[in-house]
Amino acid sequence: MRAIWFACLVACSSRGVEQPTSASPPDHKPFAITAQQHGPRMVPPEAFLRAYLEWFGHLGPRDVPKTARGWKLFDDWYDYLAALGLPDYKIDFPRATQSNTMMLATLGRLGEALCIKSAERDFRGRLPLEERHIYAFELRPVTTVDAFAEPFDVLHRTFLGYPVALAERGRLARFFELYQRVMSRHATAGRLPGDQMAWAAVCSALVTHPETGLY
Amino acid sequence: MNRRTMLKLLGGGAAAVGLRPPIFAAGEKTDQFFIIIHAAGGWDVTLWSDPRNERKGLVEPASSANTDPGHLKHWKAARLDGGVTTFEPLSPGNTSLRLGPAIGDLYELRDRMTIVNGLAMNTVSHDDGTTFSVTGRHRQGGTIPASSVDVMLANELGTTQILPDVVLRYPASYVGDQLDRRVIPMRIQQVESLVKTLDRTDQYFLDDDRADITAVLTDEARRLAERAKHPQAYQQLASQHTALPSLLANDFKQAFGVRALQTKYPTFNYRSRSQGNGALSAAFAVEALSRNLVRCIGFGFGGLDTHNANYRGHALTLQDLFDAVATMVKLLDATPHPVRRSSMLSEHTHILIVSDFCRTPQINLLGGRDHYPNNSALVISPKFRGGREFGKTDPEQVLPATSVKFSDGPRPIAPPDLLATFISAFGIDPRRYLRDGEVVKEMLV
Repeated sequence: MRAIWFACLVACSSRGVEQPTSASPPDHKPFAITAQQHGPRMVPPEAFLRAYLEWFGHLGPRDVPKTARGWKLFDDWYDYLAALGLPDYKIDFPRATQSNTMMLATLGRLGEALCIKSAERDFRGRLPLEERHIYAFELRPVTTVDAFAEPFDVLHRTFLGYPVALAERGRLARFFELYQRVMSRHATAGRLPGDQMAWAAVCSALVTHPETGLY
Repeated sequence: MNRRTMLKLLGGGAAAVGLRPPIFAAGEKTDQFFIIIHAAGGWDVTLWSDPRNERKGLVEPASSANTDPGHLKHWKAARLDGGVTTFEPLSPGNTSLRLGPAIGDLYELRDRMTIVNGLAMNTVSHDDGTTFSVTGRHRQGGTIPASSVDVMLANELGTTQILPDVVLRYPASYVGDQLDRRVIPMRIQQVESLVKTLDRTDQYFLDDDRADITAVLTDEARRLAERAKHPQAYQQLASQHTALPSLLANDFKQAFGVRALQTKYPTFNYRSRSQGNGALSAAFAVEALSRNLVRCIGFGFGGLDTHNANYRGHALTLQDLFDAVATMVKLLDATPHPVRRSSMLSEHTHILIVSDFCRTPQINLLGGRDHYPNNSALVISPKFRGGREFGKTDPEQVLPATSVKFSDGPRPIAPPDLLATFISAFGIDPRRYLRDGEVVKEMLV
């Protein structure tokens, strides 16, 4: 017991200042963020939607229903404004500051529509890479996680803003598994070939990823 | 243990002591449901809860000169002066209530109604009155300083529900970082938007593909939460992604389609010019509760802000509102409780109806009534004493009058008192959520 008190006395009597580390410039205190830290917040819905529209080809809001029309992918903005978190001053409906399941469902619907339509445009048209909106990589057979990494990195940088090599370990494998599962389900020809559907699924997941919607 | 480790441990302990504990749910399972209704725009209480049919002081009563009585079910004409007629108030014998002609079909349920009159609003601003009615706090500048009553109830009794709190055109607020993130109100603009939002084509992705995408996103959110210094936002997203597949299920979409609701609940007046949307929301509420999907539903009725000649239709708008509420209660009476097999839904459903404020006792130059800092509220709940009226107004100005003896002395009832009483009926300590307000025990059974 006496030893614990002694240890406590020694610890508390010392000044609780971090010692400079070797990374600090000489005669400088170590870098430290002293501002109060808050948890991640939701990106304001306007900024988030603007990012969506930019990613998918610098669309204007009115272009979205035209681009995503067909097969019940998307119809009209009006019904979704509240669910996306936008305010409606006409009925005093305030801006949503927190996400909810309905918002995720709406963003999922929108993301799915745009990812699929972009896949149709980028892959079917065999556009040069620089003219593609989303899938700016060569479509090659992907059977290993290494082959998956390079094109996935293109999408990862687009939506999350940094290379996948810096992401949490395991992300690459998880998305590769998603790719494989969707690909196997769409092996027989549907509206889009299996590999394109698989990339559209990866795109849909990234565009609604927690890191995309929070800052 | 070195000195640095010791300091970290001590620092961590101190931080833990200094943190306020989160207001998480008591972990209590409940089979109670809640419906909170906002009559948006400010209602005229002299037409239903606090009827006036004499010219006295400022009061110019509803009459054939300013109101269209044609379609009012309970307008029994009484002479005012000249050729002008006013109404005869309803005084049902088995209650202490005195009701106005706009009460509509709710009159049949009078012995279950608890009316609170003379609510001291101290505001004539729509935003402020609305906020005060549902949170018990006035706005600070433009900011809402507290959570609304639906969030309080959901936080205590609804965290384990698939959807703890769903609101349609209702002024819900979620304020503070100590609440459970699962009870953030799910805002829906219209019932139709719910179905559209959940609709997915099967021409491209299959349900299994979407389930895989959701699984990846849930996993990502959980892993980010594990690594984050502030994990709440990620945990919130993980729980919301987890709930998504059940929402996207087909039977859910089919049940909440507008046509499906109208077919299943044909007794609502969906064609009402002013309250058709509200009637649809009420049908949605019955369906959602019968499926044990939602713990707390908030929705709004509109059309009550009548400053000019449109006041002539105010009584009819109110009647349509109360008709829809009466239809909803009758349906709850006839719908089995989803968990308690021997009970009906209405035995465990608690309804609170509020408005922004009331309207002036005098008629303005345009023939309408403006905003006035008095209010009434209505509760239909097995936990409240039915057929009773609490609070009162003065006879000449229809302003809140001293009615109840509180711990700080006699004063009129105010919205925080009503909200404190409402949540205390379910064993919730009002001080956990409300800065002001005192329980009016006489209201409770």
